[in-house]
Amino acid sequence: MNFLGYKRPDGRVGIRNHTLIIANGRNAANLGALISKSVQGAKCFVATNENGRGADDRAAIARTLTGLGNNPNVGAVLVVGAKRDGSHEEFFYDAFVGEIAGSGKPLETLFMDECGGFDAALGAGVRKARNLLIAASRAERVRAGLGDLFLAVKCGYSDASSGMAGNPAVGHLFDSVVDAGGTAVFSETTEVIGAEHLLSKRFTSPCEAAKFLAAVQRVEDEAKALGKDIRTINPIPANIAAGLSTLEEKSLGAIAKAGRRPLGQCLRYAESPKSRGLHFMDSWMSSSVLFLGFAAAGSVLNIFQVGGGSFGKGQMMPTANAGVVAPTIFMTGNPRTFENTGEDMDFSAAGILTERRPISHIGNVLCEKVCKIAGGELTKGETLNIEEVVEVYLRGACF
Amino acid sequence: MISVIVMNVADNVGNAIVDLKPLQTAIYELDGKEHSVSCQTEVPYGFKIAVRKIPKGEDVVKYAEPIGIASRDINEGECVHVHNIMGKRGRGDLE
Repeated sequence: MNFLGYKRPDGRVGIRNHTLIIANGRNAANLGALISKSVQGAKCFVATNENGRGADDRAAIARTLTGLGNNPNVGAVLVVGAKRDGSHEEFFYDAFVGEIAGSGKPLETLFMDECGGFDAALGAGVRKARNLLIAASRAERVRAGLGDLFLAVKCGYSDASSGMAGNPAVGHLFDSVVDAGGTAVFSETTEVIGAEHLLSKRFTSPCEAAKFLAAVQRVEDEAKALGKDIRTINPIPANIAAGLSTLEEKSLGAIAKAGRRPLGQCLRYAESPKSRGLHFMDSWMSSSVLFLGFAAAGSVLNIFQVGGGSFGKGQMMPTANAGVVAPTIFMTGNPRTFENTGEDMDFSAAGILTERRPISHIGNVLCEKVCKIAGGELTKGETLNIEEVVEVYLRGACF
Repeated sequence: MISVIVMNVADNVGNAIVDLKPLQTAIYELDGKEHSVSCQTEVPYGFKIAVRKIPKGEDVVKYAEPIGIASRDINEGECVHVHNIMGKRGRGDLE
C-alpha cells in the first residue's frame, strides 16, 4: 500500500506539511503564540514552565519541543527566545536549536534581545514565519509506502469491544507497518499491569525488557502507596460503566493494539526510537499528554482507538488535535458507539463483532484508511479549529 | 445466533454482544462448535457472563489469563462484574 508523502532532508517521511513555532523556554512562549496567530496555518506548542523543575523534567520539556520540530510532518521551524540561550542548559542554543538543525529542514531563530525587544521581535517573527511558510510550501509529495510510516496508538474509554475488535484491528495494522519496515509505538504503563508478562518476553533486548518491567513495577508501587484499590482510579468510571471489571481485564484487552511483533525499546516520554519496528513508551495514559509525546517521538499519525460503551448519544470526540503536528484517527470497534457518535469517527472496526469479519480483513481496511489519510485526506479532528490544552508528561516534584 | 463471545477455550467468562435477559439461552462459538449457556441474570451488552461456575477465590479467566478473582461464588449464566470479582493487582487497600 502506498501514499504520497513529504520526504524530509533526513530521509523521514511526513504526511502533513506544517510550519511550527516553538520557544526555547517559558519566557518567550507568548511571543511564539502571538506570531503563530498571525500566520496562516502555523502550529505552536506552548510548554509549561521549565523553571523550578529537576533535570529529568526539564529534559522532557526540551525533548518534547525539539521533537515536535524534528517531526517529519513539520516542513519548517521558527525557534523564538528572549535570548539565544534559554534558562537551563537543555534550552541553550547549541543543545536546543542544534537538535532541530540536524533534521536539515528550513529553520529560523529569533531572539528578543538581538532584535530590539518584544515589539520588534513580534514584527520580525511574523515576517520570518511567513517566509518559512512559503519555504515549506515548496515541498512536493512523493511516492512513499507503509514502511515509511511512524504510527502510534492510544486506546481510550475502553469496553469489551476494545479487546475483541478495535485493539486487535490496530494490532494487525501495526504488524503490517512493522513488516513493511515502518515504526509503531504504543504506551500507557498503568494499562499493561496484569499483561506485562506477555509483553516483556517480546523485547529483543533483556536490558529493554528489564526497563519495561521496572516501569510497570514503579507505577504499581505508586498506586499501592495511595492505600486504595487501583480500581477506584483505573479502570476509570467510564470503563466500569461499560462492563470492564478490573485493571487486569482492561490491560489484557489493551495490549492487543500492540500486535504480535518483537519489541525494541522501552522509550521515555517523547523519546525518539533509535530504530524502526515496534516500541513501548513509558507514559501516563491521558490523551492530554500522550498524543503530544507520540508526535515528539516522531509519530506522523496517532490513532485514538475507543470503546466508547459509556458515550452519550452524539457525544463529540474527547480529543481532536492533541498531537499538535500529528493528526489523530478516531476509531471504535463498538457498533453502538459508532451508531451513536459515528459523525465524529474516522473508522469503525465494528464489523469484527457485527458480521464476525476476520481481524485481518478489518485490519487491512484500516491500513487502506491510514494510507488515504497519510496521502492528505483530512481526519474529522483536523476539520475543527481546536487548539486544545495539551501538556508535557512530567513526573518530578516542583520547587 | 451468536450472542456471547468467548475469547479462549481456557476462559470461564464471555462477553455479551446483545442485551441478555434471565432464562434466555446464550449461544457462543469455540473451536468451530456452538455452545450454550442459560442466563441467570441480566447481562447487558458488553458485560461478562460466566460460562462455567466460578467458586469464590478462584481466578476469573479471559484471554486465557486471570483478570481477577471471584469475590463470591458465581453461578454459570450469571453476570460477572465488580459486584462479584475483584482485581489482584494494584491493591493498595490490602497492603
